Amino acid sequence: MWLKNNKMNKHNEMELSIVQNEAVAPSIPSVKLKGVGDGFLVTINPAIPEEEIYKELSDLFGRLKHLTVNAKVVIDIGNIEGYDALVNNIKLLLKSKFDVGSITRLNQKSSSNSVSGFDGQHNIENNIRANNNKGWINERSDALILTGRVRSGQKIDTKGHLVIAGNVNPGAELTAGGNIIVLGSLLAPVYAGYPDDDEAFVMALDFRPPNIQIGGVVSMEINSELSGKIVYATVKDNKIITEDYIKTQPFGKIPWPTIM
Amino acid sequence: MEGKIIVVTSGKGGVGKTTATASIGAALALEGNRVAVIDMDIGLRNLDIVLGLENRIVFNIVDVVNKRCNLSQALIRDRRIENLFLVPASQSDNKDVLTTLGVQRLAKQLKSEFNYVIMDSPAGIEKGFENSVVAADEAIVVCTPDVSSIKDADRVIGLLYARSITPRLIVNRIIPEMVVRGDMLSHEDVMDILSIDLLGLVPMDDQVVISTNTGVPLVMQNQSLAGQAFRRIAKRINGETDLPIQVPTMKTGIWSKITQKLGLTK
Repeated sequence: MWLKNNKMNKHNEMELSIVQNEAVAPSIPSVKLKGVGDGFLVTINPAIPEEEIYKELSDLFGRLKHLTVNAKVVIDIGNIEGYDALVNNIKLLLKSKFDVGSITRLNQKSSSNSVSGFDGQHNIENNIRANNNKGWINERSDALILTGRVRSGQKIDTKGHLVIAGNVNPGAELTAGGNIIVLGSLLAPVYAGYPDDDEAFVMALDFRPPNIQIGGVVSMEINSELSGKIVYATVKDNKIITEDYIKTQPFGKIPWPTIM
Repeated sequence: MEGKIIVVTSGKGGVGKTTATASIGAALALEGNRVAVIDMDIGLRNLDIVLGLENRIVFNIVDVVNKRCNLSQALIRDRRIENLFLVPASQSDNKDVLTTLGVQRLAKQLKSEFNYVIMDSPAGIEKGFENSVVAADEAIVVCTPDVSSIKDADRVIGLLYARSITPRLIVNRIIPEMVVRGDMLSHEDVMDILSIDLLGLVPMDDQVVISTNTGVPLVMQNQSLAGQAFRRIAKRINGETDLPIQVPTMKTGIWSKITQKLGLTK
């Protein structure tokens, strides 16, 4: 009886070891797919034979066929240089078979990447951030947001950015360590980027201040041609430049929401 | 009796605070209210002259606050308008002689005896202004349609809001011809910046100078446009809140057109 049991146990152990052996392979998958924003992050183990990678990729993308058209794909093969041929082949395969949008390679180690590669990484990081609600909840922006009319003789000083949803009357004074945005008429002198941040900007829906200061640059005469337009003022070449906000779209160049 | 204390203020000098105080006070009295007008411009008194009562001053507000006389001794009754009284300012003291406590005590007494107590605040935002607004229930801000007056009025409005007093606005000395030509800000432009309730619009009127010099209240001169405007303002203060605001307009009568053609008038 005991012998029989012992035999049985041995048999079981053998079986287990076989199962374990089988399970080892899928625990380090050759290809891993993860949805990120409007694209996919594909992690590939380049040590695995190319044929196997292509097969796995076809399998995975085949299952998600309805999502892959025009999708942005970022390929991560770890911090290993080389394998350009592999990546190129994968690009060809995915483009021809699944009509994906763009394919870029993620390389976390080297910063001397091609411009497109860097953009890909930059985009994906911001993308992750923008789509990760938890991330935004924990983010803080240093801005003082006020509503109402700022009257003559009233002074508003803040270390961060200043947003005023209302009008700023002549004789008021606004000073901010960061940017100043007025959702209304700005008729008073303002000082953005106090004391020396030349990168700050001043923006108002109705921009008619007597003068403004950004960082260490003072503007005495404001371009009156822009009256009635949304004006955006910045420092360029040590001078304050006022521009039509709608025309220049200064923030259109920032691809993802970014904390000011 | 539980009356109202209304302060007339402006920040800037020379915009017509004293004229407005005298006219509104006289108009409210003509409406049948018991009215006291108080000159708070200590050292530079004018309200007595505008009302034509300068010859009858014996005691003044400083005497009352410092208890050198009773309130009844300092009150000067107007002989033409029943129920209109003046408490004149002192010409020899300066504004520091009054204390806010003293003014509050006087205000309490005045409130119990009059329907309306109108305080003529001095120009500026210093001690004289403080004393004038300390007991006020309501405030009237007077401004003229020019940038400096608006800026000062705006400052005063901010200070009044800080004291939880909601001011109302009188735009004084509007010249409709200049507004039409675009040389003067319209009352809409003024309201755009100050954004408070409008109490009335008063046109420029030569009668104001005549009235000040002769001491006959403006509101008693029927042909005076400014006088009529102040009478309407007094009615609005007195509860006729639905009385429409009359915007001063250019003379478009046939006679003025003929004289304009002939070059007799502008």
